Amino acid sequence: MQAGLSTKNAPSPNVVLPHYAFGALSFLVAATMLFFAAGDLVGHYLSPKLLSITHVLVLGWITMIIFGALYQLIPVIMEVKLYSEKLALVNFFIFGTGLVLLSASFWTFTFGRSIMLETGGVMVVLSMVLFAINTILSAVKTEVKNIENITIITAIFWLILTVVLGLIIVLNFAFQFIPGSHLQLLKSHAHIGMVGWFLLLVVGVASKLMPMFLIVHKLPRKLLVYAYILINIGLIALSLGYYFFNEPWFLTLSATTVIAGIVSFLRFNFIAFSKRIRKKLDVGMKMSALGFILLGISLVFGLFSVLSLEFTSQIQTRIEISYGVLLLFGFLSSLILGQTYKTLPFIVWLKKYQSKVGKQKVPLPLELYSDRIANIHLITFVLGIIMLITGILTGTVLIIQIAAVLLIITGLLYNYNVFKIIFHKEINHES
Amino acid sequence: MNLNKLTIEENNILELLKTVIDPEVAVNVVDLGLIYEIHHSEAENTIQVVCTLSSRGCPLGDVIMKNMEVVIENVYPVYNINIELTWEPEWNPDMITEAGRIAIDS
Repeated sequence: MQAGLSTKNAPSPNVVLPHYAFGALSFLVAATMLFFAAGDLVGHYLSPKLLSITHVLVLGWITMIIFGALYQLIPVIMEVKLYSEKLALVNFFIFGTGLVLLSASFWTFTFGRSIMLETGGVMVVLSMVLFAINTILSAVKTEVKNIENITIITAIFWLILTVVLGLIIVLNFAFQFIPGSHLQLLKSHAHIGMVGWFLLLVVGVASKLMPMFLIVHKLPRKLLVYAYILINIGLIALSLGYYFFNEPWFLTLSATTVIAGIVSFLRFNFIAFSKRIRKKLDVGMKMSALGFILLGISLVFGLFSVLSLEFTSQIQTRIEISYGVLLLFGFLSSLILGQTYKTLPFIVWLKKYQSKVGKQKVPLPLELYSDRIANIHLITFVLGIIMLITGILTGTVLIIQIAAVLLIITGLLYNYNVFKIIFHKEINHES
Repeated sequence: MNLNKLTIEENNILELLKTVIDPEVAVNVVDLGLIYEIHHSEAENTIQVVCTLSSRGCPLGDVIMKNMEVVIENVYPVYNINIELTWEPEWNPDMITEAGRIAIDS
């Protein structure tokens, strides 16, 4: 095989596709749960139902699809074979089962001992460790050592730290072996997961894929190095600061360092979008661009969360919840909705038509889904997010429920397209 | 890149390669500027195409190259066809033809 060619390294679609199916269904489930837990969004964020929704979103929806996409992408961008496809498939079942147990027990959680919660937690931790083993053992074989690949590997280390800390929190609810507030541990857990795992991963993957999709070259890659350094330093300081050195100036300085890193990454993307040859954005790239805009907006909310200013003190908790919602339901969901259309059709297309190109007429990958449906759910998604933030900030349950309905519609339409792609029937006709 | 001094057969091969579409951008590989050289030798019974990809680790790279081989093979079944991948010079968007630029945004 010639260097730089990667299709032959790609794993079997049977490993990757279940992750997309589970992820898409989780988005729909999370949106439905949101409807029934709308009242909790105007209260405190340490609510059982919000914890449940958060875990369905971060694990079932976002992480599940990221796992599937990384099993496909790591061989492609690192030019190596996946260490074990069997392990990836077994891990899917451990992760899926653990997540269902975890989320179901969170929904009715009373902040005490829960065997179901602990079992689910242990299974999730185990699955993350197995994922890390599988991907890191694949990555060590690579000869392509660039900032994108280093960032992805660092993100996987943060993922392990996130889930281990999460498990410690769950066990601490029952056994109280760590003194101090759960809330500080929870903030560390949330930020390590959000920034260390999700954001660094987005930096690593997007900096490879965006230039490819937008057709743009010679981008200032030093911005990615700055982003990597600043995000990691800021995050280490922030996560330690929450527990050991909870001084406002220190937390503000740490958060500002992270934000500076994110701004550097956003600048890289802005330049990529400005210099792109491909001016017309397809629906996948529109949703991805929206994701970056939502990331920018969530940073503003994040800053207000840390600063705790006088004039926002009346709605401080609502600002903090909006910040989390904008990151999860806004930025990450939008990016994943969009990147689904940039990855899933190609995975299925390769499976069905790889051996037929040139021999018969084959459809293009974008013809495997309905572009119209995707554009409609882009609109319902945007409206849903606007309504959701409005509802949270004004403390109006009805508006949150309307937002949830819009997000449920988004989920239904998105699922229609995802399953249309997964179950695409091969078109056979000689040219 | 030397696509200006092609023989009639090599021009035919170039036209055949215009039917090979990059599935991501839906533009043919010739207009994307991915074809660097074409060599046809009736005496040696060989056809060689030197090409590149728009980026290293392109997920569809070998599918595109296989497609090139198949479309040439369909018309020149008795020839030994060699599709050679090169990263020198590195591809850049300036290599896209005017027709390619129009097709990308259509």
